[in-house]
Amino acid sequence: MSVFRHSLGIRHLVCGSCNGCEHEMSALENTFYDITQDGWDIVASPRHADIITVTGPMTEAMRAAAHETVAAAPRPLVIVAVGDCALGIGPWAGAPAAGRGATDELGATVTIPGCPPAPEAILAGLREAAELL
Amino acid sequence: MDGTGDDAERDRGHDRAAAVNELQRSASTTFAERVLGECRTAVPLGAYACAENVRYLFLAASGPYALVRQLDAETTLQPVSGTIPLFSWDEREMADEWGVRFDLLPDARPLRGRHGTMPPAITAHGTGLMRFVVGPVHAGIIEPGRFTFSSGGETIVHLDAQLSYAHRGVERFVEGLDVAGAARLVARICGSCSAARSFAYARALEGLAGVDLPDEVELARLAVAELERLYNHLGDLAASAAGAGWGPGFAGGMACKERAMRLCRLAAGHRLLFDAIVPGGIGPQVLRERRRLADQLAAFAADVEEYLRVLFTHASTVSRWQRAGRVSREVADAFGAVGPAHRAAHGKIDVRSFAPYGAYRRLPVRVASATAGDAYARCRVKRDEISESFRLIRDALVQLGDVDLPDPQALAVPPGVATTVVEGPRGSEVLAVHVDGGGRLSRLHVISASFRNWPVVARSVDGNIVPDFPLINKSFNLCYACADR
Repeated sequence: MSVFRHSLGIRHLVCGSCNGCEHEMSALENTFYDITQDGWDIVASPRHADIITVTGPMTEAMRAAAHETVAAAPRPLVIVAVGDCALGIGPWAGAPAAGRGATDELGATVTIPGCPPAPEAILAGLREAAELL
Repeated sequence: MDGTGDDAERDRGHDRAAAVNELQRSASTTFAERVLGECRTAVPLGAYACAENVRYLFLAASGPYALVRQLDAETTLQPVSGTIPLFSWDEREMADEWGVRFDLLPDARPLRGRHGTMPPAITAHGTGLMRFVVGPVHAGIIEPGRFTFSSGGETIVHLDAQLSYAHRGVERFVEGLDVAGAARLVARICGSCSAARSFAYARALEGLAGVDLPDEVELARLAVAELERLYNHLGDLAASAAGAGWGPGFAGGMACKERAMRLCRLAAGHRLLFDAIVPGGIGPQVLRERRRLADQLAAFAADVEEYLRVLFTHASTVSRWQRAGRVSREVADAFGAVGPAHRAAHGKIDVRSFAPYGAYRRLPVRVASATAGDAYARCRVKRDEISESFRLIRDALVQLGDVDLPDPQALAVPPGVATTVVEGPRGSEVLAVHVDGGGRLSRLHVISASFRNWPVVARSVDGNIVPDFPLINKSFNLCYACADR
């Protein structure tokens, strides 16, 4: 079991999501799911991150900033693709200014499908990511 | 019936285009002057270009209509944005992405960045002034955007909000798609106003097809639209409490928002109401468990009322909201504020009551309003709209009773152009839908409430202190996805 299990820093990176996934990521902080009870936190900087969650099909405009964000995070680091867009199978895959998501662009190792995935599914994916650290 | 409104709008759009061409032949009035004149009598919504013309959109009590100017290789238009900055983003977009030629655009920068490079921000320079950039990656679960502040110490002198990091090219992507098949994509342009946009899209196609929907379907759509307003407004108030630094206000509001999203799932099978409204009707899971929904809604409404009472009597939160991010009536009108931002600054327009559509004709909306134009006024308008949404959903459920809801009708959509406007959580959600002879989209244009309101946010912070920016921003709580498209 990972030493990070009870102190997970999660940095969220939005790469052209419709913000549906953001509603469900935010739900992790409400009193129903409350990830802080597990010692997990949505952190304000990639420098504080153990996990980077990524949403969206990876727009052309976000590509450079996304790579810089990942480069700024300390290692070990697990990248988690949240939602169908980030998995490259969302509604905007192949749109003129969109790429094929975080799995493809940033090499996400944990993937959470859904449009958007429910908070329970995101929590399950984050637990899976914690095991990899 | 709703469809006739759209048909009339189309016809009127053409009539007025003819009238405009007539005027231009007499050479005394330019198209820009005609648009400016129209702004005095109708609500300007924005403008867009397609291959053969530019279309400036307005809303009258009878519905939306367009002033149309045909384009040819020689056409150079006078910009309207020099007089009414509301049109600035629209004209920049037309110039940069559709090649429309304007004579001296006041802000001639491209609206969107290219290949990850933004146009230079507008900044203020002078003794003691500094500039700093925030974004596109923000410290939280927030969509991407770049905010370039110029400040003198704590005081913000100028803010340039540059978005487009969420630009996927959705309008080009849906061109050529079958109109029915595109509905799933339209619902996913933006997660926060999905139902409103699906509503506008469905009404556009139904208007073109000349289809009338049964009253029970319209009532169900109203319930869906008001549920969307509920979860959004509750999230906005929670975020505004967080902006003012009050944790319990944030936690209480987010718990309410979660409960609202669970009611959305119960009401429509999806926590964000995706695909609840479809062309020709409503999704298969909408309002199947009405009794359970009505029971849960009643208990929830009582808890929300208590939350709002506590929130609005929390003196330090309210005092942070007051005078923060003040938008004057003049700025709101000139920059085109819509929705709660408009109604918090003397505005009286709510599309649901100004140009009622669907079941809003049977269930009139009491329009919330305030005058101070600050974060507090915006929060109060949202608070009042939450109560009104509960009432509307309750009334719709009572009127529906146990009646069976029909499956969506198949639509035979003839070629044509339809413009529809619905009142989403953040204001007027405008959709222009062009359909070709094969029942495919030849052009889709989205003017979201967030697209209209972002320039207002940028002006609302002038003279405020930098640490108030988060709370001012959250009192609008705009989306980026539907503004960037």
